[in-house]
Amino acid sequence: MENSPRFEPRIIAFCCNWCSYAGADLAGGMRLKYAANITPIRVMCSARVSPHFIIRAFQEGADGVLVAGCHIGDCHYLKGNYIAIKRVAILRDLIEFLGISRERLRLEWIAGSEGDKYARVADEFTEQIRGLGPSPISQILFREKGKETAGVTKRKEGGL
Amino acid sequence: MAGFLGLRIFGSEPFPFLFTRDTLAEVEQLTTGTVRYPLTKILIRIAAQHPDNMLGVMCRACDERALIELCKNSKLRSDKIITIGIPCTEELVQACKCENPQPSNQITAAGPIKEFDRTDVERIASMKLEQRFSFWTGQLGKCIKCYGCRNICPVCFCDVCTLEDQPLVQRGEIPPELPSFHLTRAYHMAGRCVDCGLCEEACPVDIPLRTLYRRVRESVKELLDYLPGEERDKVPPLQILGDGLFEIKE
Repeated sequence: MENSPRFEPRIIAFCCNWCSYAGADLAGGMRLKYAANITPIRVMCSARVSPHFIIRAFQEGADGVLVAGCHIGDCHYLKGNYIAIKRVAILRDLIEFLGISRERLRLEWIAGSEGDKYARVADEFTEQIRGLGPSPISQILFREKGKETAGVTKRKEGGL
Repeated sequence: MAGFLGLRIFGSEPFPFLFTRDTLAEVEQLTTGTVRYPLTKILIRIAAQHPDNMLGVMCRACDERALIELCKNSKLRSDKIITIGIPCTEELVQACKCENPQPSNQITAAGPIKEFDRTDVERIASMKLEQRFSFWTGQLGKCIKCYGCRNICPVCFCDVCTLEDQPLVQRGEIPPELPSFHLTRAYHMAGRCVDCGLCEEACPVDIPLRTLYRRVRESVKELLDYLPGEERDKVPPLQILGDGLFEIKE
């Protein structure tokens, strides 16, 4: 990884079905160009993003995790995003204490009409993570398991 | 009171024991002891079997904090429990680095209250990120996955535990995945950890778990203004959706 000219981060984005995923769709519909490093995963609500999902994503070698939901007050389930923000805030503190920069976990409110915001956040976040470099977890995975690509682990069975 | 959960001397060591009317004679062996047990956790089982009975329990300050959290999580009913507070001995307070060893309903004289000891947390917080990560991977890499921290934790009460969930935690892998296993447990301590320190005492490989959970406790206090075990009337912020006014400040 160190020898490659430019570090391409792997970013997992958990997008809520009603706003952020529609926003991502719109960004595509508007033919906006944005960083291809983001892998969106559609969930029904930002409150559906259990902290386990985020921890799992980091453990599997993600360099950054984006949680995207509806703006406060716009949640399809009325108050789902109220809890999502609390969870992310605590988890950000926690990963920082363990030595993973808090900037690797980001929460954004992206509405269905904000395709441009989705593209902007994707670009911004990718640049930010690129500046931070590979996640320390992906580096231990790389070292210990000797896999060809950092951060790619094969699980014996199960998996999320 | 149908029964009283306390410590009884067996041989020369104190063990948890439920004193009932049938075993009244054994009250002679009742002791406050110099050891700690998660008595409230044992009480959950007894209370589940006898939901209508009044139960008494010997409470150190940490037990009492745990009791408050357990009542909030509907594991125990506060109207069915009578606590008898036991202040800890000076040696125990020193050994636990306890910030507040005073239970409310006390039968003997009050002892000292100490300042919150932040030295361990600050020492780690002052490290650089890379240093911190290698410190924690070194520490957590010692883990033999005995689940001792979870088993002794007075506020770990779930019937189904995430840490045994096959998709999240691989069976038979030692050490468990770094740092997701401990990160998961630490997250679960948010809004729950009462800072009793039993986890660190129980850990056979001396991982500074208490420091980790203390940081979580501090974050919850800073971000959501909730100190588990200290506030009887507040609803734990992670159990409710809230008012939506909370914001992440950089």
